Amino acid sequence: MNAIIENNQLPFSAKFLQFYKDRTLLAILLSLFAVMFIYGIFFTENYLTITNFKAIIRDAALYGIMAIGLTFVTLSGNFFLLSLKETASICGVTFAMGMATGFGSPDLAGNFLVSLLAALAVGVVSGVIQGYFVGMGGNPIVVTLGGAGILYGIGAWWSDNLVINFTRPHDAEWLGTGSFLGLPSITWSFILIAIAAEIVLRHTNFGRKVYLVGANKAAGKATGHENFSMAIIVFTICSVCCAFVAVAFVAQMDSAQSNYFSAEFGSSGDMTILVIATVMVGGNSIMGGYGSTLRTSLGAIFIAMVDNMMVLQGFNSGPRIVGVGLMIVFSIIVFGLFAKGSRAQE
Amino acid sequence: MENFIKKITKDVDLSFAILLSFCVYVFFAINIEVFFSHNISFAILERFAVLGLVGLALTICIIAGEIDLSIGSNAALCAVIVVKLTDPLGAPLAMIIGLSVSTLIGATQGFVIAFIRIRAIVITVGTLMLLRGVALLIAEEKTVMLTDFRVPDFITTKVLMYFSPASLTVILIFICVGIFMRYTKYGREIYAIGGARKEALTAGIPLRRPMIIAFALSGFCAGFAGTVIGLKSGTAQGLGLQYLLLAGTVAAFVGGVSILGGKGGVLGAAIGALTVNFLNTGLVFYALQVHFVQLFTSVLLVIVIVFQTMSRVFDSRQARKSLLATIDERKTSLLEKKRSALGR
Repeated sequence: MNAIIENNQLPFSAKFLQFYKDRTLLAILLSLFAVMFIYGIFFTENYLTITNFKAIIRDAALYGIMAIGLTFVTLSGNFFLLSLKETASICGVTFAMGMATGFGSPDLAGNFLVSLLAALAVGVVSGVIQGYFVGMGGNPIVVTLGGAGILYGIGAWWSDNLVINFTRPHDAEWLGTGSFLGLPSITWSFILIAIAAEIVLRHTNFGRKVYLVGANKAAGKATGHENFSMAIIVFTICSVCCAFVAVAFVAQMDSAQSNYFSAEFGSSGDMTILVIATVMVGGNSIMGGYGSTLRTSLGAIFIAMVDNMMVLQGFNSGPRIVGVGLMIVFSIIVFGLFAKGSRAQE
Repeated sequence: MENFIKKITKDVDLSFAILLSFCVYVFFAINIEVFFSHNISFAILERFAVLGLVGLALTICIIAGEIDLSIGSNAALCAVIVVKLTDPLGAPLAMIIGLSVSTLIGATQGFVIAFIRIRAIVITVGTLMLLRGVALLIAEEKTVMLTDFRVPDFITTKVLMYFSPASLTVILIFICVGIFMRYTKYGREIYAIGGARKEALTAGIPLRRPMIIAFALSGFCAGFAGTVIGLKSGTAQGLGLQYLLLAGTVAAFVGGVSILGGKGGVLGAAIGALTVNFLNTGLVFYALQVHFVQLFTSVLLVIVIVFQTMSRVFDSRQARKSLLATIDERKTSLLEKKRSALGR
């Protein structure tokens, strides 16, 4: 008992040291990682330039927006979606269809607003359906694994697995390649969405409910906040974020295909896993109830920084995927050890 | 035999699996003339060699109450190692090295899960990416190829009309794992920690041993699936085999495992894998593109999930109804007692 009281009265630095006294291996690993990172920053050419930093944030923005959507799902205790890239690909196909053909009516062809709304609507529908099954008591991993196959199948079937092109100039250029005050639009969207998500989570009724349901499902149910409606809402938020990223990406490429988000996207092979990695590297508790979108945004920027450094050092995709994979496993183990003993498990 | 039939009809999910696989088979047998023939049966068993193993790997994990997402990457890594080492070292030694690497990876995952006490999905998402990167590194980002094709020829030769050395080995593995899970202490421990973890831990079952065994077994099965694919085609890619996760999950769930753990078995996994094989083999005859196969496989998964969820909801409703009924009975009996007492 005395020991506990003494421990509480210790200053933070002493507590910090005491924590690491028992975990020498962890401390060595952490410092090794920090040394490597700082070494990389100072010994990579052209790394510490404003242009490069802009590029990093631009990279981070694409999967950062998706990861912010996924954070809602994770915080509410529904693990994660395995259908992120498939949702994005079907929404991208929808948007490109709208821009190219106007869904069959030539008057609407190239109409940005209609195409955007159609893509977002597809995102909402897929989110609601998956959220419904999860809310009914299905396991999120299995439901979204099935959902992923169905969404990809429908997207590929609809587009006949072809690349859908639409020509420049088009109305969506401002979103895809345009910039505002020196920053690309997608970066601005990332910043705005991150701020909005943080405000929603911290200062609204809904945000508190997300934390409550995630931290303790039984307590949430007892106080009238069931996971059923929560699952539908968070899955919809996540799918809409995917749809937005898809629209921005397709607007940049002037074309869409159902395989765009599959293999070899960006750096690390698989978009879905990269987004999940972002949420985890940020240090959000995957069991729900602990974490924030700010952590996710920082995680996205951190992954983009490490990846960018490895690109500038001239690494191939193999070592880069290993790097991101090590980062995920490492952060899971570190946060797992941190949480061990201090928080209730399961 | 009677016991066996009784057991199957008692298990709703298993009987549903048998019914589903029968329906799928009959559908294709009616619509496609050659489906009911020796050659197609041989082809189905050949596919079973791969898919059955992946389904078995996932079944073991799900019985332990966890899910292993890194199966595709583990299989790809093993395939790359085996194909790369077969030329210099010969197939048997390469297989031993590859399989021990896969098993070791699985065991390490199980150890980490039990040691930190996190959910397996968390750590296996990380290893999914990590192992994929390692496989890419080992393959030097190229497609690894065999130069000596005697090994692929050997493992696809026909034995006894329906079998090949590959499928015979897989059936042997199924029998061994089935006996292990059903009749040994260690196998029962896996069921125990999956079905009722708190109770099992309180009863003195260690978490580490069954977790390590379950994940080592699943890693071995995934590695063996990768080995069969790699040696059969003579090629392996670091980024390949990711579709195995979906196919294996469908096989496991059709076979009647419950995501809550502690339910299902090797027989179910075999039936589930056969169902997926019937579907895949049947769709080949319609000359459909690859995304249609994925679409129909996913639809199969959704059907099974909906059935399972509905039956669970139905069960809990039934239980609640019967509980309410007993409470009502007790209430009425109490009221009658009261009335009779007052009347007197």
